[in-house]
Parts: sequence; structure tokens; C-alpha cells
Amino acid sequence: MRTRNADKEKLVKEKAIEMLVKDGFQGFSMNRLALACGVSVATLYIYYQDKDDLIKKIGAEIGKLFMAKTLQGFNPQMGFAEGLKKQWENRAAFALKNPKEVACYEIIRRSRHGDNIVEESLKGFKAAMGDFTHNAIKNKELISVSVEVFWSIAYGPLYTLLRFHEEGKSIGGRPFKFSKKTMDETFQLVIKALTP
Amino acid sequence: MKGNTTTIDLSNILIFKTNIQTEFDKLRIKNVLDASHKVLKWNIDMDDVDRVLRVVSDSLTPEQIISVLDYVGFECAELE
Repeated sequence: MRTRNADKEKLVKEKAIEMLVKDGFQGFSMNRLALACGVSVATLYIYYQDKDDLIKKIGAEIGKLFMAKTLQGFNPQMGFAEGLKKQWENRAAFALKNPKEVACYEIIRRSRHGDNIVEESLKGFKAAMGDFTHNAIKNKELISVSVEVFWSIAYGPLYTLLRFHEEGKSIGGRPFKFSKKTMDETFQLVIKALTP
Repeated sequence: MKGNTTTIDLSNILIFKTNIQTEFDKLRIKNVLDASHKVLKWNIDMDDVDRVLRVVSDSLTPEQIISVLDYVGFECAELE
């Protein structure tokens, strides 16, 4: 008699993330996942309808987790600098603690399931961020620019630093490790750029 | 379709290995499986080497599914 096993489910999710990062979307197979988890292929198909279903569910779960962490201690009514700082701290903490999940999410986002999981993850998030930036512009704490320009200045630098950290090196192979000091220094410049 | 996480009765999910190859093959299976009220839901993972057929049914037995597929000319074996 088949029963649902929470530990097995957890293992399957962890291994799937690992294998997606290692082999990419095309290289991923249900068969090899089953082998890696020590479960039968049939067991896998109890939990997931097919490869697409598994990948979509994993992507959606990572997305939701990321969004929840990002919004922790954050309030759209916060002052711009304070709120953006909180965003930076939360996002950096998530990326540093869950590098595989972040890499996996990127892989899924670029696959044919990209639009689906982004939409799923973004629901409450878009509303919160929209309110935040509108309040900031209204309170004259943020210059009025397009979403793309805003994002590339407000978050681009942080993600660049996190990418350097992930690769262990920055420009020209210089060794690099993310630090609060570097984050704070970069953040000050970002605020300078975005303040009217 | 209702939420399908913890409320699903796992004994209703039947898993098979098949030799379904093409989209046309899949269409032939579709005609047969969709025709039965006892098949609540089904899908085939064409990305998988075992061409796994997954059937949700609270009344059909694996043997019944196997013989239906056999009737339309496909190999089918239960995966445990």
C-alpha cells in the first residue's frame, strides 16, 4: 500500500534542485532523480504528474519562499532608504543561505515554465513593491523613473555583488567575498543615485 | 480539479510503463481513456524513457488498464 512519506518528499525536492543545477533543464530526468533518491520511478509519479509538473512545483515553491523572506520585516509604508535596505538585507541573506535554490530558480525561470512560475511567485509581492515605490515618489524620497531603470539601479548592484560571491571572484579574477561592509558602501551610492 | 496534494488517495493513482512513442500514439490512447467515466484523470510523461502513463481512478484495476492498452496495440506494465 502506497503512503505519502514527508521525508521522501523532502529528499526528492532537494535532489531535484541539486540535479537541475548540475544538469540543467534539458539534462534533468525523472528516472535519474528516482535513482538518486533511492525511490522507484512509480513513487515519483505519485507525487508528480510528470517532469513538467515537478519542475513547475519546485519553481513555484522556491519563488514563494523567496518572496516571503524578502518581505519579512518589510512594510510598504516604510521610508524609502529604510525599506530598500531591508530588501537588500533580506535578499542577500536568502541568496547566501540558499545558493542552490537561487541557481535552480534561475534555470527554471529561463525554461518554458518561466512565465508560469514568475507569475505564481509574484502575486502579493508586486502589490507590496508597487505601494512602496509609489509612496516613496509621493514623499519625494525617490526620483520618478521607469521600472527597468529603477530596478537596475535599486537591485542590479546587489545582484552583481552576489554573483561575484557565488563565483568566488570579481573582475579579472580578483578573489571576492560578500561582506556587510561592501553591501553598505554600495547601498549608500544606490540611495544617492535614486534620491531627488 | 480539486487541490491534489494531501487529500488525494494514493491508491487511486496507477502508474505504468508503456511503449507509447508519438503524439499520434498518445491520441489513440486519449480516445480510449477519455471514453471511460472511471478514468478521472490521466497523463503520459513523453519526456521520460519509460513513457510513464499515470491514471487516476477509484474503480479501475491495473489489469483493466493494461488490457485496454493491449487492445489498442500498446505494451503496458505496472510500475511499482
